[in-house]
Amino acid sequence: MMGTFLRVPVSVLQVAAAVHQIHEHFFQIQMTSGPSMMPTLNSGGEFVLLDKYHGRFGRCSTVGDMVVAAKPTGPRQYVCKRIIGMPGDVVYTDPVVPDTKIKVPKGHVWLAGDNIMHSLDSRTYGPVPMGLIKAKVIARVWPNPGWLSNSLEDYSPS
Amino acid sequence: MVKFQSSKKQFLFTFTKNFLGISLWIPALLFIEQHVFSIGSIDGRSMKPTLNPETNYLKRDKVLIWKWNRNFHRGDVVILRSPEDPQKLLVKRVLAIENDLVKTRPPKSTRFVPVPEGHVWVEGDEQFHSIDSNQFGPVSAGLITAKIIAIIFPFSRMRRISDDDMRKDVLIRSTNS
Repeated sequence: MMGTFLRVPVSVLQVAAAVHQIHEHFFQIQMTSGPSMMPTLNSGGEFVLLDKYHGRFGRCSTVGDMVVAAKPTGPRQYVCKRIIGMPGDVVYTDPVVPDTKIKVPKGHVWLAGDNIMHSLDSRTYGPVPMGLIKAKVIARVWPNPGWLSNSLEDYSPS
Repeated sequence: MVKFQSSKKQFLFTFTKNFLGISLWIPALLFIEQHVFSIGSIDGRSMKPTLNPETNYLKRDKVLIWKWNRNFHRGDVVILRSPEDPQKLLVKRVLAIENDLVKTRPPKSTRFVPVPEGHVWVEGDEQFHSIDSNQFGPVSAGLITAKIIAIIFPFSRMRRISDDDMRKDVLIRSTNS
């Protein structure tokens, strides 16, 4: 009798655990907030699709990818920014301040928001260790569904 | 022959039913292994003599890893992602937390380093074989994945991890209680 009584809660637990595994290791839909990635992402907040499998620790990431990372100054806050420099790259720290360059240390990335005037990013908290990167943002889900791809191209002044 | 066939079918049916029933518990077990506790073995000698005092590879310590709690205190032995290589996990002790001022350890040159907000200072207990904050500076606490709370093997060394072997002269100033 106890068996039939517990059947539903047990099944709920099993399904929740399975869904949790998918969220942890494969895909998750998350809500963003804040103006730092305008115009790519709405300041009022949008639902985006995160790729955990390819994005964790920045493993399949490159310059130009939009990623979700834990804020280095913590605790347990997340930021959504774009990778400007991979380990070993030399990047301009601030497009507003001329001639300040930095070499991105091993195992770290340099992050910046698309809305450079209103973004708290690596200019404030320095290079971010790749171990803090949680996922890659691959698509917008709602209100404007669409893939968010890395459209960076190499630029050589002619 | 008919009797043999139906009993084989019956066996397969029962086996598959039980197998599916058990495999439905796998995500729940994975959740526990990833977020509550698990057992692991330690490589390396940077935490001697607390962990792995023998250099014999076959006698690595097995430890109980606690993952549920995310508050770390001075003296905790933790597992963290290396800031130099995100694919590597390090086992070190937390010696100082945010807003402390730390004195670095010889043989590195003596410097005083403030620990920024949200960061910790980690060191291996073994002075000469440890790549730690003395080399790469304070690390973000977000890199810490778990805490090691006890040694469970070998039985002769089974105990909770304590802060007996912690370097005591590390803190110059602490703004926390």
